[in-house]
Amino acid sequence: METKFDQTLDCKGLSCPMPMMKLSKAIKGMNQGEVLEMLGTDPGTKSDLPKWCEKTGNEILHEEALDGGIFRYLIKKN
Amino acid sequence: MSEKAKDPGIFGQLFGTFFSKHWPVWVGGIVLGLLNILLFAIHSPWGASGGINNWGENLFQTFGIFGINGTTPVWLSLFGMLCLMLVIGSFMGALFSKEFALRVPPRGEMVKGFIGGGLMALGATIGLGCTIGSFFSGVPALSGGAIIFTIGLFAGVIIALKYLIWEMEKYPRFSAGKSYTFLAVKPGKGSWQVYLGWTVLALVLLIAWLYSGRNPVMTWFIIIGLFMGMISQRSRFCIVKAFRDPFMTGESDGSTGVMAGLMVTLVGFTAIKFFGIGFDDPTLRMREMTWIFPHFWGRALIGGLIFGLGMTVAGGCAVGTLWRVGEGQIKLWFAALGFILISPLSNMFIVPAINEIFPQTMRFRAFLPDYIGYAGAFALVVALILLWYWFVKWNEKTGRFTAY
Repeated sequence: METKFDQTLDCKGLSCPMPMMKLSKAIKGMNQGEVLEMLGTDPGTKSDLPKWCEKTGNEILHEEALDGGIFRYLIKKN
Repeated sequence: MSEKAKDPGIFGQLFGTFFSKHWPVWVGGIVLGLLNILLFAIHSPWGASGGINNWGENLFQTFGIFGINGTTPVWLSLFGMLCLMLVIGSFMGALFSKEFALRVPPRGEMVKGFIGGGLMALGATIGLGCTIGSFFSGVPALSGGAIIFTIGLFAGVIIALKYLIWEMEKYPRFSAGKSYTFLAVKPGKGSWQVYLGWTVLALVLLIAWLYSGRNPVMTWFIIIGLFMGMISQRSRFCIVKAFRDPFMTGESDGSTGVMAGLMVTLVGFTAIKFFGIGFDDPTLRMREMTWIFPHFWGRALIGGLIFGLGMTVAGGCAVGTLWRVGEGQIKLWFAALGFILISPLSNMFIVPAINEIFPQTMRFRAFLPDYIGYAGAFALVVALILLWYWFVKWNEKTGRFTAY
């Protein structure tokens, strides 16, 4: 299981568009190759995030569902 | 994830087709468009703000506030029930896909929800319509006012998005803090959500059946509303997203999904109006003027602008708010509350002043075929949709207008 990351972004409880806005901002402030951990609860992220990554060239390294309806993603900045 | 999934069976697989993954937005758009045509053929097109206003008036009447009386009870109001069914249909869709959970956001988000909902109510009452009545239904209904309302919406969305970005940069703590999630289930567990979903479906069908003797139109509105809610939740059909995302991340899928719905609706509505298809309007002229509201162009522009601001701050348009309520997003519960409370108040205290300047008379009802014929009106709407399509695709490629 992937566990290494450089920064974490808590989007729990937030609904559209806040998770994607915060994610875009966080990734912008990171260096190439660094990994962001994103935690969220909005089901919208499940379809928004892959599309966004495809468009921006960033990469989802890992995704999992935690207890309490929380999704966890590890996203690598490319 | 590690345990081997058991074979779901033929109907289990069919169920999975609908509820294991989100649908593409364009699928949702097209099906919603078809159901909207059906609503019009049965009675009148889809609308949302009128139904939410009906809830508000009933609430005030129940508590005897401001002497509001004579309101149609929700269970006799076609649009009050349609809106209620949107919430319940989304609740059902979320349960079937085990996506239902009460998601309590940080406090600042709830404040934004309420303010956004209040602004939507102001926009809808001043501009006579919302993203459904004066956009998703209004534009295909060949209403000149709806096109102006849409321009207002764009302006409002762009301004409010700038605000959201500013807020996130300057006051990131406003949208951060303690959050809670209740009743969520893990994948592979929580069958209670699916069982509850079936219970909801059975109850709604029972209610629809109870109406069928005296009020068959309501029976159809209930069933169509239920599926509209479910489809919106599954495809995450959201008009704010369609307007906003090209200016935010540059993403265009939400926009093209709405365009697909508009195109389908346009064909159906034009035919209904042209041939006067329909049930209880005594003249062809009345059928033609359905959903042509007296708001051309001042009211539509101001109302659209305010509504656009509100829906962007709230993170849900009229329908996007309703289905997110059903999915358990507490921010949107506050948006709905703001809408419900402010809508009747605006009608009492603000709209009369607006009526002085822009009276609700025939003069302000612009039915496009009156000026450029049916073919011209149809072509104009198609051209506008294509122009929007070109813009979002070009912008997606170049990133010219995206914030990130």
